Amino acid sequence: MARTLAMFTDTSLCIGCRACQVACKQWNELPMEEPEWTGSYQNHAHFTDKTYRLVRFIEKPQANGELQWLLMSDVCKHCAQAGCLDACPTGAIYRTEFGTVNINQDVCNGCRYCVSSCPFGVVSFNHDTGRANKCTFCNDRIHNGLGPACAKTCPTESIQFGFRDELAAKAEKRVAKLKEMGYSGAQLYGVDDKGPLGGLNAFFLLLDRPSTYNLPEKPLLPQRNVLVDSVLAVGSALLVGVGAVVAFRERGGKGDDHA
Amino acid sequence: MLKSPDWHLLIVWYFFLGGIAGGAYFTAAIADNFGSSRDRGVVRTGYILSLLMIGVCGMLLILDLGTPSRFLNMMKAFKFWDPMSIGAWMLGVFGAFAFVSSALSLSADESRAGLRRKISLVGTVFGFFLASYTGVLLSATALPFWSDARLMGALFLASGASTGMAAISLLLYLSGESAGEGFKKIKRADRFAIVFEMAVLALFLILLGSAGAPLTSGPLAPLFWGGLVVAGLVVPLALDLLGGRWVPAVIPAVLILVGGFILRYVVVMTHA
Repeated sequence: MARTLAMFTDTSLCIGCRACQVACKQWNELPMEEPEWTGSYQNHAHFTDKTYRLVRFIEKPQANGELQWLLMSDVCKHCAQAGCLDACPTGAIYRTEFGTVNINQDVCNGCRYCVSSCPFGVVSFNHDTGRANKCTFCNDRIHNGLGPACAKTCPTESIQFGFRDELAAKAEKRVAKLKEMGYSGAQLYGVDDKGPLGGLNAFFLLLDRPSTYNLPEKPLLPQRNVLVDSVLAVGSALLVGVGAVVAFRERGGKGDDHA
Repeated sequence: MLKSPDWHLLIVWYFFLGGIAGGAYFTAAIADNFGSSRDRGVVRTGYILSLLMIGVCGMLLILDLGTPSRFLNMMKAFKFWDPMSIGAWMLGVFGAFAFVSSALSLSADESRAGLRRKISLVGTVFGFFLASYTGVLLSATALPFWSDARLMGALFLASGASTGMAAISLLLYLSGESAGEGFKKIKRADRFAIVFEMAVLALFLILLGSAGAPLTSGPLAPLFWGGLVVAGLVVPLALDLLGGRWVPAVIPAVLILVGGFILRYVVVMTHA
């Protein structure tokens, strides 16, 4: 297992230029999608099967009447504990030696279970190919000594690429610096590998709480309740079974008169 | 933000018919092992119904895939923590049990009966699994309401029981066997299953609390309350207990089946 790679997206540096969105489309040869009015400069409203990097434009009214404009380049988090990977029944979704998560387009049969199993709504179904897809962490680039296209193109180095441990250290320093500068809301999201989902391999520095960015405050693995739910189903089965036995059983030992 | 898997009518039908398949099978297996020779109609009808249903179920699932020609890729993995993965395997295993039990129930040879009963008892486990796992599958997603429903699997199982039994009694009625002892017993079993299903549904809603709003007060609420609760559960139970000779026994059975379909419909279409 090679050293884990990661992307650190420092939203305090994002200028909303969307070069990352464009570079991603170019490198992955993703087609254009008809834009829709989202109420802001954001385009599109969510990740799609043809949009893997998405710059979010969040307008937050302040107490003094001014509008705080929060910008964030969102992407697949390549979670250490990935809901999509655990859900995939064909094994099409796998983890590379770098810790990134990919969907093998030659194996996926389009059941769409992964689409509903991502706590961030990242994975999408492609109606043209009949398969699911998402950010590949530029799998071909990282296997050739390069970083993802979005990180390469970002003009402010808001998106940084490197080994996870080194980036995490950088991120901790950066958030401390921002707090010193007066950005009290500055916080890291997904850095802690003891945290939710075992840590995210694409983690963020946010200037406000996660819910402001429409991120779950504490993302959880959707499969965490399978055991409990199964035990309850077994309980239901036992009770139903007892009821059926009582309804059908022959009483009073009339001899072995079976069906 | 979160994404729907876009499962629609094909999957609603699969959940419904799969519930019947599992429910009919385990009812038949229990009748086979604990009942008498007078219940032979229930036993044979239950096994064969489950076999026919599982065949249709397989086709529904394949058709729903984005790339149906790759349906066998489900066999490339076995993840016991993943409801869809075990489900894909169990479908095949259950189909085998349904086939063997059906074949053995058609044989006039009485010496086969003992073997058939033992096999069916094992198959019962898979029948229970088939009827309930789809509920656990939904609650293992990230989508609200589905992911909040700890009793989804338990509820689907109860519904599989009531609809499987209703289907058997309907078929017995249509084939003229409704005067028999077996018919009386299946009605008795279905009565218990309906009461149990109502109890599980009540607990399901209580545990969900406000998270159950999409079902109880959303756009699908009239269908849920009117179609499932009233027409699919309360009315058939009342007709069964109070109707006596005035109500043909087939009417409660049909209502239960409609209610079972509506249950799967409102649950799945919450995230259409």
